[in-house]
Amino acid sequence: MAKKTMKQDYVQRMLSVVLILVFVCFGAAAGGLSWVQLVQGEKYRALAERGQLNDTVITAPRGVIYDRNMKKLAESASVWKVNINPNKIGSDEEVLKKLVEKLAPILDISEETIRNKAKYTNQSSLTLKTKVELNMKNELSAILGEKLFEDDKSKKMVYGSYIDIEPDTKRYYPYSDFASSVLGFVGTDNVGLYGIELEYNSDLEGIPGRKIVATDGRTNSTPIGDYESFYDAKQGTNLVLTIDEVIQRYVEKSVKQAYIDEKAKAACGILMDVNTGAVLGMASFQNYDLNDPQTVANKEEAERISEITDKDEHTKALKAARENQWTNRTVSDMYEPGSVLKVITASAALEEKVVSLDTTYTCTGSIKVKDRNISCHKHEGHGTQNFTKGLMNSCNPFFITVGQRLGSEKFFEYFEAFGFTERTGIDLPSEAKPSAGNTYHPLSEFGIVELSSTAFGQSVNVSPIQVVTALSAVANGGKLMRPYIVDKKVDSNNNVISVTKPVVRRQVISESTAKTVTGMMEQVVSNGTGKNGYVVGYRVAGKTGTSEKLGQPGKYVASFGCFAPADNPRVALLVTIDEPSAGRTSGGTIAAPVCAEILDNVMPYLNVEPQYTEKELASLYTSVPGVVGESIETARSTLSKAGFNVEILGKGKTVLRQIPAKNQSISKDGVVVLYTDDNQSNQTTVVPDLVGLSISQANKIAVAAGLNIKISGNSLKSSELLSFKQSLQAGSTVEYGQTVTVYFRSNHDVSDYG
Amino acid sequence: MEKKKKRSNILGFITIANGSIDMWFCILVIILLGIGLVMMFSASYASAMDKFGKPLYYFKRQAGFAAAGLAAMFLMSKIHYKTLRRFSKIALFVSIVLLIVVLFYYVKIPEKEEFKRWMKIPGTSITFQPSEIAKLGLIWFLAWSLEYKQYQIRQKDWRLLIVYCALIAFMSGLVYMENHLSGAILIFAIGITMTYMGGFKKRWYIIGAVIIAAVAVIAVVEREHLPDRIEARINGWLDPDYDPINARWQINQSLRAIGSGGLFGTGLGQSKQKHLYLPEPQNDFIFAIVCEELGFIGAMVIMLLFVALVWRGFVIALNSDNKFAGLMVAGIMFQIGFQTALNICVVTGVMPNTGISLPFFSYGGTSLLMILAEMGMVLSVSRSSKINKNNLL
Repeated sequence: MAKKTMKQDYVQRMLSVVLILVFVCFGAAAGGLSWVQLVQGEKYRALAERGQLNDTVITAPRGVIYDRNMKKLAESASVWKVNINPNKIGSDEEVLKKLVEKLAPILDISEETIRNKAKYTNQSSLTLKTKVELNMKNELSAILGEKLFEDDKSKKMVYGSYIDIEPDTKRYYPYSDFASSVLGFVGTDNVGLYGIELEYNSDLEGIPGRKIVATDGRTNSTPIGDYESFYDAKQGTNLVLTIDEVIQRYVEKSVKQAYIDEKAKAACGILMDVNTGAVLGMASFQNYDLNDPQTVANKEEAERISEITDKDEHTKALKAARENQWTNRTVSDMYEPGSVLKVITASAALEEKVVSLDTTYTCTGSIKVKDRNISCHKHEGHGTQNFTKGLMNSCNPFFITVGQRLGSEKFFEYFEAFGFTERTGIDLPSEAKPSAGNTYHPLSEFGIVELSSTAFGQSVNVSPIQVVTALSAVANGGKLMRPYIVDKKVDSNNNVISVTKPVVRRQVISESTAKTVTGMMEQVVSNGTGKNGYVVGYRVAGKTGTSEKLGQPGKYVASFGCFAPADNPRVALLVTIDEPSAGRTSGGTIAAPVCAEILDNVMPYLNVEPQYTEKELASLYTSVPGVVGESIETARSTLSKAGFNVEILGKGKTVLRQIPAKNQSISKDGVVVLYTDDNQSNQTTVVPDLVGLSISQANKIAVAAGLNIKISGNSLKSSELLSFKQSLQAGSTVEYGQTVTVYFRSNHDVSDYG
Repeated sequence: MEKKKKRSNILGFITIANGSIDMWFCILVIILLGIGLVMMFSASYASAMDKFGKPLYYFKRQAGFAAAGLAAMFLMSKIHYKTLRRFSKIALFVSIVLLIVVLFYYVKIPEKEEFKRWMKIPGTSITFQPSEIAKLGLIWFLAWSLEYKQYQIRQKDWRLLIVYCALIAFMSGLVYMENHLSGAILIFAIGITMTYMGGFKKRWYIIGAVIIAAVAVIAVVEREHLPDRIEARINGWLDPDYDPINARWQINQSLRAIGSGGLFGTGLGQSKQKHLYLPEPQNDFIFAIVCEELGFIGAMVIMLLFVALVWRGFVIALNSDNKFAGLMVAGIMFQIGFQTALNICVVTGVMPNTGISLPFFSYGGTSLLMILAEMGMVLSVSRSSKINKNNLL
């Protein structure tokens, strides 16, 4: 102390305080600042940005699915998603109450739902409702700016600070249940679950966009600064199917009718372009509403399920029913093809020249194979028949011997070549996978018994798509095609991205063998078990099939496979009816007429010119000459000369209108109604019951009622034909001169039970 | 000298200070106040918008107090320290009374119910912290007392020191009872530093520093015996990943804000972290927003301005013709400097989060008013100082 004066000591102390303050305290502060801001700065900046940036996914519009003529079968529309911010609400009961009261009625959800979501106060965004449509969204947008507490000046919160509307998309299927098994549907997340939607999900879904905005820390919605990057969502690829909307409708209509009429468990139809393998129509029943896939479409089934009281059982039954309707049986199901497979046996035998058309066989009603007797469906036997006749009769013993002549190895070679041991490769999901030992006998186990039963289509399982593909190979001169259902991928401006090229998997038989087999199949339809598949004006080649399910006596699969026209095949068609339970079970009886009806509609649509045989021409059909504008006398003589009955209505001198119109094809003794007076009201008539009649009986009754008749099904002069269906309902009132289509079928020699 | 002063005695007991004020110091105060106000506005408008729907809410209030504070500063600068000296015992008495009263009549602030720091001025909606007044009161009293006892200090060294320490500990303890640890620490540090400058033997301070360091270490090691709130803050400070009660949220957001600023900053008004990420960006953590918007360079410039202010304040103190005046100015400048450095240490994570505001910057009207009044007292002393008022050193 003594060394320093008080003043010096005081100055020294003050200086030491200020120096410690500056160097130690501020030094530490500056050091900390340098460390955080300069050394660790990048790390903290990255953390800050991660915290600030709000990344919103923008759903890409899903690609459109078109039919081959660019009709929209599936499209996506804009909908919205409504989110709530529980974090912002916190524990504010008043705010929650206001929100619940306002939102529940607008969004049409229970107050409970909102309250439950609002509990998660650590979340800043929870979805309240998805798939909100425009009207609801507009209604909601209108209140977003409203204050929660109108009269309370101190509380300025608006609904918009708790609610967020986010764009989303929803899948629409304009034709509801149309082609349901082909198209499939998407889940709530817009991911395809079945059908094309599943198979082509990655094409259809597009690339989602992103919107990255820096937002504030509380609401995560108010943008801050100018940072915003936006990546547009890329719309999914559009698909153009090979399916033709018109053909699909024809196929669905007829198959559905059979499904209902025959009280079947299931029914399928596939119509394929034989030259390319393109599927033009594909139906699988039960079908369902694509816009509401969860609802069981079969009313009886739905009722049955709703009556199940046990909860687990109910859930199980519901699940089963849903899966049942969602399954595309044409590709996912397998069945015993029965006699349709004889086409393959015949093709192989002819190709290998182990038989010829002149080969004969005498059927006695059964044949002994190894230790067992296999009987023919005609117990008294078919007698002696040549090869064509054998196919026409669908004679089982004959085809067993044909198979045996080929031998196991050769037969198996063709069985394999026709594609029955592999998937067809169609671009649809869950195609049934053939497996040796389960769906077919492997070559190692292909003994005489297995050979014999497979030769006529028993003890083997195939899928409908395999059968129709194999039939197409016979039709197109021996080329086994890969079936496909997506024709083109196009972008949003309909620029073609890629086109599916038909793929020939292999040549399975020679063109000449194919021609021969086609000829035999044509005979099956003209005069054999397939006669109900006959279509006037078109040469149909076909084969019936009826198989009893293995181990399930009394349960059958009835089928008819065909293609037309026989001289230049365009389309192949297979109809299968699973477990018909209305009394009729033979493919020739119940499946062939369905095919005939479809082909009758489809062939003209495909612009295949009908070629009437002379017999056909002579018997019934002729086109009506046009007589509008002519005098009554001239008209009457023109029409009478052509053989028509003439009915004149009105007191005028000239014809103003005629029914049927010019060039319509009606039976030769049909009625032509001529209207001569504007004031003459349309004459009506009551449609008579035309079911259960022969052609001539039906014709007579129809003409008497002032209606024209159109005959559908089977060859014309057959005395054994009886009508089973009519296009205009009996008892309904229609205009005079209308045409009623009457469907005929033969009940003689059309069964082919194996 | 006495006769000259008499002329300035207007009200009988108030002596007017004559001479010119130290322009350097005055300019530094005004620069810091200006920057502080601008930054307070920039930092606060997002949270003001969120809380009150009025972006100018905090700024308007702060600006009003700043204006009042400037008036107070020039008023104080005209009062001669001799007059101030007469009020030193009253200042201490008022301070202690307020510290006691606040423990019973404190104002509850929403979301900070456990704190007993604020009092309301009766008849107004203005709140203030008695601890802010106590800091000045203690400085004021100690400056007088240490001058008054300067000769006894040499004789009855440790006994007097114990008396001072008891007073300081008493006040510090009262503040601690407000649930205001940082205030208690500040009062303690200011008081002890004042006694050091008063001339007690250095060895006590060395012993004291060692003891405090040991206590600090023990507090950190044995932190489970401390109140939960403090323990959580220490835990969060030591381990950035330890955050059970979100205690680190504010410091983490602060570090992100500072890091985002980089060398040059995002630009004035461009902070993103102030948008409801950093809680209460207008208060204790305002410096984080300063760093984000003005960058390292801007932040360093502001720190240097503070250092310059502190330095100039000590120059004024050293050159004052009176020990009371010198000690008072040094005490005030130590308070400003220490608080600033501590605040920046907290904001940058060097120290645990304690709740120390940044002078001139942090929102708080009465606090700003107090600081400016203190600056006025420094300016008053500068009027009779011998320094060359146009030369920084």
